[in-house]
Amino acid sequence: MKALIAGALLALLATPAAAQNITAPPPPIPEGITVEEIKVHGASLEGNLEGNEVERQVMVVLPPSYATNLNKRYPVVYYLHGFAIDGKNFYNFMHVPEAVAKNAAEGNEFIVVVPSTLTKMGGSMYSSSVTTGDFRKFIAHDLVEYIDSHYRTIARRDGRGLAGHSMGGYGTWVIGMTYPEVFDSIWAQSACCVSPRTETVESATAMSQVPYENVDNAGFGMRAGLASAVAWAPNPNNPPFYVDWPIRDGEIDPLVIAKWANNSPLAMVASHVGALKSFDAIGADVGNQDGLVRDDTLIHEELEKFGIAHEWEVYEGTHTDKIGQRFADVVLPFFAEHLDKPR
Amino acid sequence: MFKALIATAAALAAIAAVPVSAQERARLNWVEVHSPAIEGNLEGNSAQRKVLVVTPPGYDENTGKRYPVVYFLHGYWATPEMYQEMARFEEAVDGAAAQGNEVILVMPDGHSKLKGGFYSSSPTVGDYETFVAEDLVKWVDANFRTIADPASRGLAGHSMGGYGTIRVAMKHPGVFSSIYMMSACCLDPMQLTAEQAKAIEAMSEAEVAAAQFGQLAPVSTLATWSPDPSDDGFLKVYTGLREDGTLDPLVNQRLAANSPLVMLPQYLPALNGLEAFSIDIGDKDFLLEGNRAFMAELDRFRVKYDFELYDGDHGNRIAERIRTKVLPFFGEHLDK
Repeated sequence: MKALIAGALLALLATPAAAQNITAPPPPIPEGITVEEIKVHGASLEGNLEGNEVERQVMVVLPPSYATNLNKRYPVVYYLHGFAIDGKNFYNFMHVPEAVAKNAAEGNEFIVVVPSTLTKMGGSMYSSSVTTGDFRKFIAHDLVEYIDSHYRTIARRDGRGLAGHSMGGYGTWVIGMTYPEVFDSIWAQSACCVSPRTETVESATAMSQVPYENVDNAGFGMRAGLASAVAWAPNPNNPPFYVDWPIRDGEIDPLVIAKWANNSPLAMVASHVGALKSFDAIGADVGNQDGLVRDDTLIHEELEKFGIAHEWEVYEGTHTDKIGQRFADVVLPFFAEHLDKPR
Repeated sequence: MFKALIATAAALAAIAAVPVSAQERARLNWVEVHSPAIEGNLEGNSAQRKVLVVTPPGYDENTGKRYPVVYFLHGYWATPEMYQEMARFEEAVDGAAAQGNEVILVMPDGHSKLKGGFYSSSPTVGDYETFVAEDLVKWVDANFRTIADPASRGLAGHSMGGYGTIRVAMKHPGVFSSIYMMSACCLDPMQLTAEQAKAIEAMSEAEVAAAQFGQLAPVSTLATWSPDPSDDGFLKVYTGLREDGTLDPLVNQRLAANSPLVMLPQYLPALNGLEAFSIDIGDKDFLLEGNRAFMAELDRFRVKYDFELYDGDHGNRIAERIRTKVLPFFGEHLDK
């Protein structure tokens, strides 16, 4: 995580805002591209114990012919952001409008949808938790249904791609494995949290002692740990965090660690081989200077072991310095190859 | 684990099954269903699955009538034939019909080379989970006069089948509206030790074939939950045993990722969406503790279910309770 923090902050040259979340200035919007900032109601998020917003901010980027060719329907790429950033700032940082314009100029038009899943702890982990909300279902059902009923999409599996960066790359793996019937193809950029998270007595103790009022200032690594804990081992009877801490009576609680493992893409692959093989295509990439390169290589090897076809690339770069460029030049062209064409 | 059950089944096997008339009594239909989900597994388990379909009395003549369906999953070491001998499902379906609860009962073959597929998804064993939730349901709806709607579809099972019941309900929401777990196994996470891994790696094919229940069960669950197509051995499992004699934690992490107790927090919406959920177990069942731990979790997450602790062991009252509890439960909750 340390490499990830340093990488993210350095590359973004961002000023930490409130709660140390990452911000980026608004991107250029090329001519012909339409951007809509909407709110989508997340029925799957209702009643979450953290009090996370149920009306979620979503950025929708429409391709050039969308406004003029009123009978045409388009494939949709859902793009998931990382930790300690919201959907809009991720959209800003990734220059999504330019990526859509560039691909449109090459004959590949998409709608790109960037939902915001920022939570009290700094990120949903795209998991299903009574504490944070059921973000897996929010993405795969609530959001997809909303987009399909409000935009001219190719409203079936063949017309939907799922991608994400860092925590969003993690989300791509776990949502893909949980709801394979929704998406045709998936691509994980620099996915975090691939192998099961572990703790020492010292680190678990430190985590369990963070004052609730001070979460925002606990630092990136600690916030990421807290976000993982509340997403993967919720406990509705343990306010204010509503979590099962990984430590009990001075010892690591193996059941909590097991629950975390149950949310690890690496541990999930063996029991989701059918789901993974059902995708039209899978892609994953990571920079060679990214602290996550080892972890991401593990899931690549696990896919190989199970004979699950996928594209895999380790490129020259850090956790963040090439990701916007690669979204435009690698990820969207990958979806152009595999999703149904506009029609 | 199943000694009591086997004994019961053997005793019942002595009683010859009486063929029944199609019109007045429930009828046993032994059929074969092709399951694409089982294809290509490395143990060579057949994708042509034996299935028992019990149609209620009057099914043949009332050609305009459609029926709710109860799917029943059998236990480890057993076959559908053994459970039919033990439970005599035609009598149970007749009894239910006499009380105005006409249902079709379906029991698929969950057996495998290592005596049980745990209704899970494994490239080594096969994707039994998808076989039950998708292939089988689709086939039954296409070949029998079912009410092809989740509101009229129930899922129950005993022991390994009780595990299958909760697993399928979690992972395939919206297929079955009510579920009934009888004496479910495997709810809390299993822990493999380096010694067990060593013992499994040392087993020859002949030893596996001749293994007794207690010796084979951990091999079966490993094949199901820690499969490895690249394994040089015949088992196609990853034991996690390293050169230095220690165990790769990934093995126990994979086992944990198949434990309903561990999976529960991620699948609450599926269970909260059920019309009805029932659990039972005998007070002398060795699986009682695992069931208690699981129910404590259900309570913590405020999942609604009914529970009955009865005087009995793991297998001695299953046939009776299918008649007095399971079928009446579905009679009450499935749409007619």
